[in-house]
Amino acid sequence: MTALLDIAHLTLDYATGHGVFRALEDVSLSVAPGEVLGLVGESGSGKTSLAMAVMGHLAGNARLAGGSVRLGGAELTALGPAAMRAIRGKRIGMVFQNPATSLNPTLTLGRQITEVLERHRGLSPRAAWREAVSWLERVELRHAEALMRRYPHEVSGGEKQRVVIATAFAPHPDIVLFDEPTTALDVITGARILDLFHRLRAETGVAGLYISHDLGLVARVAERVAVMRGGWVVETGPATRIFTNPAHDYTRRLVDAVPRPHRRLVQDEPPPHEVLRAEALGVRYGRQRLFRKRAEGGGIASVSFDIREGEILGVVGESGSGKSTIARALTGLVRAGGVIRLDGMPVTRMRRDYRRAVQIVFQHPASSLNPRQRVRDILARPLRLYGGSLDEIPTLLRQVNLPPEYASRWPHQLSGGEKQRVAIARAFAARPRLVICDEITASLDVSVQASTIELLLELRRRHGTAYLFITHDLNLIRQIAHRLIVMRDGTLVDRLEIQALGSGNEHEYTRELIAASPPPVGEETRT
Amino acid sequence: MTDLFRRLLCTKQGAIGVVILLVVTLICVFGPALAPYSPDHMDYLGRFAAPGVRHWLGADQFGRDELSRVLYGARDTVPAALLATLAGTLAGAIVGTLSAYAGGRWDEAIMRTVDAVLAIPGLLLALLIASTLGAGEETALLAIAIAFAPGMARITRSVALAARQEEYVAAAIARGESGTRIVLAEILPNVIAPVIVETTIRVAFAVMLLATLSFLGLGAQPPSSEWGLLVSDGRAYLHDAPWLVLAPGAAIGITAIGFNLLGDGLRDALNPRDER
Repeated sequence: MTALLDIAHLTLDYATGHGVFRALEDVSLSVAPGEVLGLVGESGSGKTSLAMAVMGHLAGNARLAGGSVRLGGAELTALGPAAMRAIRGKRIGMVFQNPATSLNPTLTLGRQITEVLERHRGLSPRAAWREAVSWLERVELRHAEALMRRYPHEVSGGEKQRVVIATAFAPHPDIVLFDEPTTALDVITGARILDLFHRLRAETGVAGLYISHDLGLVARVAERVAVMRGGWVVETGPATRIFTNPAHDYTRRLVDAVPRPHRRLVQDEPPPHEVLRAEALGVRYGRQRLFRKRAEGGGIASVSFDIREGEILGVVGESGSGKSTIARALTGLVRAGGVIRLDGMPVTRMRRDYRRAVQIVFQHPASSLNPRQRVRDILARPLRLYGGSLDEIPTLLRQVNLPPEYASRWPHQLSGGEKQRVAIARAFAARPRLVICDEITASLDVSVQASTIELLLELRRRHGTAYLFITHDLNLIRQIAHRLIVMRDGTLVDRLEIQALGSGNEHEYTRELIAASPPPVGEETRT
Repeated sequence: MTDLFRRLLCTKQGAIGVVILLVVTLICVFGPALAPYSPDHMDYLGRFAAPGVRHWLGADQFGRDELSRVLYGARDTVPAALLATLAGTLAGAIVGTLSAYAGGRWDEAIMRTVDAVLAIPGLLLALLIASTLGAGEETALLAIAIAFAPGMARITRSVALAARQEEYVAAAIARGESGTRIVLAEILPNVIAPVIVETTIRVAFAVMLLATLSFLGLGAQPPSSEWGLLVSDGRAYLHDAPWLVLAPGAAIGITAIGFNLLGDGLRDALNPRDER
């Protein structure tokens, strides 16, 4: 079978201030007609550079140092910008990660599709309009006629991504490039987009190049998978084989790092003693302006739960469900109604002993460390505040598997995972009893995520710390949590023991969430 | 600090700016020693002398040596511009940071006041203040400081507001740090870099603004040789003795460019992302 897209020995350099950086090294891949190739790699592996090279959409400092990209036998790297523009969009469709930025905010949704149809299929405006409406219906958008006249900001993220997909498929391309199309969406919306992807593929037979950092996800959508690392393709093969029997060491590590809900990482049962209890916690966001008061979403109402000594309590829900608001209420970042009890005693004012007992680690490693403070100063603050000796800093760093010399580093000299380790060390400097982890692995690569989780569990074994673990990753939380609470639209809809999951007693919404995050390939048979 | 200076010199604009300002500083310090004449010495035979061996930059209607006057004038112009800017930016930066930290009604009230003041063009505001308080070097200085403060407050607030949203500030609040400590240790260090850059660039404006006020008779008074005043004096003889305007005008321009370049260089050098 001849390949539709044939990438051979592609080598790409970026000229930077510090010399030449090689982003792709001798990359060879091919996609057969109608086939979906998954491209997996962690950040910096070159997967996006590869996509850009295929589209002929390289950054100004990029230099092709060799190799070829052929589409249906025609060489693309030799084409000029104008010829490339004719191919892009027409023969190669594209769906990017963030639907919020890939649509033009000043054009109606309808205009964005009809423009593509008029340009690449030469339809008259009237025919293009009809065709666009039918495409919006095909991507399962209701009220297609009305949507045509809407602007991107008037529809939800999932709807936007569907419009982007419609625009990619409408000109009947040979191949569609997907660059992390569900990463910016929440679990359920993402799962529905994947369903749509499967259906459109079956209907149109279009080939695909599906790029993602999520090996588990790629294994579900692609027939073959290529694993990239540091600009190299380390392994290519059928998806199921890669996942169940990886040949390369690196692939094996990636596969091992994928959270598998049935492989429990925590075996013990926490003692019944309760650390913290929240009763009817409520937060209403609303900004007091000079002349008017405006209510905003994201608040919570009447949320009650308790956390036991050394317990891991998972908090799950979609974005905007109020998960993070719980964290902010417990740490005094927002004013909350209701009662918080520490060891049974109501907390009226958050004094130092409460602050010390309840620590928090945030989502974004890049913003949780002050760029103007060295690691040493960052760790010194809780030690000074809660009574501790600065001599503990090397121990704190060693405890999170960082060399003590890191004390003199600036945050920008650390990788994302290392920053998150420093943030964890900062929380543990207070010798807390409960650490709130607010999506702390969401912005980390899979392998870094796995080692961060391992570290948290190790610290828990050593100190008996309880965790309030907020996440949208159900597979991950099922590995570590003792109990789960499920949030939706600011209210707590379900509260359950982790063993009870799958027993049929869950709330309907919990079931929906679980269905939206199926276990990775190779695990399905074992449920 | 030495590291910052090294990185500053590595940028082209920064290096040129530093050289220009070094010369300006030397003139401010050693101007009187370098000047061939006293700025008030009148050489009646040399009235309106064209630039030449006797008077390098010519002489004015009283036969005073233009070069000497410009050299002396640096002392009346540059330190005053610096002082006015520092006072204005410092006040603005403090108000802006506090406004961002306080948030809510306070922020709203302060920022609407700032908006109201900003609605008046800077020069007009300075003119208004200077003419209300009476002409003089001190009032000109005060006028510039007041004219600069609102803009600076606006800039600082936006930077501080961005810093306030960062998770490290949330972490500090969750840790139970005091408000003062959060402003001083967490927010301010992140605000300072853009404030320094903005201040430097504003000195350039201050030099010109100060000269403008003197030119209009609202700043330094004769017989001072403040540069704006020199331009104003020379204006009457623009056709016959253009050097009387050109020399101080060039001094104003070069100094302003120097501060502008230094500001550009500092902006590149202070970027924490490139700190190694």
